[in-house]
Amino acid sequence: MINLSQTVKEGAAVVAEIERRSGQRITACLQCGRCTSTCVAAFAFDYPPHRLMHLLQIGLVEEVLRSETAQLCLDCMTCSMRCPMKIDVAGVIETAKAIADEAGLRDTEPNLRLFRRGFLNNVCRHGRLHETTLLLWFNFRTGKLTNDLSLAPLLLRKKKVRIFPPRIKNMRQVRRLFQQVNRGAGPPG
Amino acid sequence: MTDYSYFPGCSLTSSAAEYDVSFRLVAAAFGIGLDELADWNCCGASPAPHHWGGELGILLPARNLHIAGAGHPSVVAPCAGCYNRLKYAQFELERNPELRERTGAALDEAVRYQTEVLNVIQLLNREIAPDDLSERVQRRLSGLRLGTYYGCVLVRPPEVVRYDDPNNPVKMEPLLNATGAATPHFPFKTECCGSYMGLAKKEIVLQASKRIIEVALECGIDALVTVCPLCHQNLDLRQSQINAAYGTDYHLPVLYFTQAIGLALGHSPAELGINTHKNADFGNWTLDVG
Repeated sequence: MINLSQTVKEGAAVVAEIERRSGQRITACLQCGRCTSTCVAAFAFDYPPHRLMHLLQIGLVEEVLRSETAQLCLDCMTCSMRCPMKIDVAGVIETAKAIADEAGLRDTEPNLRLFRRGFLNNVCRHGRLHETTLLLWFNFRTGKLTNDLSLAPLLLRKKKVRIFPPRIKNMRQVRRLFQQVNRGAGPPG
Repeated sequence: MTDYSYFPGCSLTSSAAEYDVSFRLVAAAFGIGLDELADWNCCGASPAPHHWGGELGILLPARNLHIAGAGHPSVVAPCAGCYNRLKYAQFELERNPELRERTGAALDEAVRYQTEVLNVIQLLNREIAPDDLSERVQRRLSGLRLGTYYGCVLVRPPEVVRYDDPNNPVKMEPLLNATGAATPHFPFKTECCGSYMGLAKKEIVLQASKRIIEVALECGIDALVTVCPLCHQNLDLRQSQINAAYGTDYHLPVLYFTQAIGLALGHSPAELGINTHKNADFGNWTLDVG
């Protein structure tokens, strides 16, 4: 568990941890802004990618770990492909997200986290994804019952909705894969 | 006749059923045998690698690799997401013995992970020469301008998937050109469509996908061609939501790669499931042209 602190020394320790896990050198970033100019989601971020890199360079890790950027990055890796310094920017952001998750920072983008959890629980139950129950569950949990309802008529008419969930034979094996998460401790709640 | 193991994945059994149908039709036309993996499971898609530390993004596809390991030398995964996850699992299992150990523990035997993993473009390029396709064409797609849209996960990260150019992929073009279709310059072929955020963070998907459609139309493209069910969902199904959000009036068809080839082979749009798409009007270009 990472202890969050704004002291420069401890900030540096988290930056070092991000560098170690991602295999990237934060200091190599030139602040040219290429990552931000190629990012399709930057408009929805609180910190665009190059500013996130700068926050890490000056050790303001809490801003990074609590950022919307860490949660919302699509991991499309366009920034990593275009960086003139060949930094895997998406890898840095993904690592920051993983550390934020481990530290239990759950104040940004709860719906996205809810969607991922719902998706994986759905797979854990059936072995395959049942889109219908995922959509209904998510809309019920978020209280937005009409979310994407406009798409339903076409999907129903074209028989692209599975009413009954799929189910694979060896569910025991799939559940055992879930139990391997966290080095054998299973999914955290 | 070469036989391949076939991993359809969840989308191809539900919302992208037409991708499965068109792939099987094209494969059958060229004598490509497809054996569906027995009792396959979900690959984890985009949520698994970004949740609970990300390990399910390896463990779930690993079971499919393991099943494939008892079958043919190669397994084909038409869905770009499934393809990416299978390649990722292979990559991580190869270099992480501890993960290999734990995966094996869940599977009750040493995990088999070395089966060759192919995407649909790779498979069809291997089995069909452009000249052969050209000779088999029943409905020449002359005059149709197709925008080859590859998306992100088919070509990235390059060290994992090792397929085509990650910034300017070109492997769809030869077969499409062999059908008579043009593939004009389309600079957004690897721009992200917004990924899995459609339900939870819709504005990202709508803006990202709108830009792709907008640029396609500026390039004079009649239809986009994709190999990814999630891209298809964002670009085709959500086009009405884009129109509602931005006051646009887009009706750009989006085809699966296999549907475009199936059309050229003479199959009707209905046989290929093109009528199940939200946008199936090709404007001036008519599907009955000879």
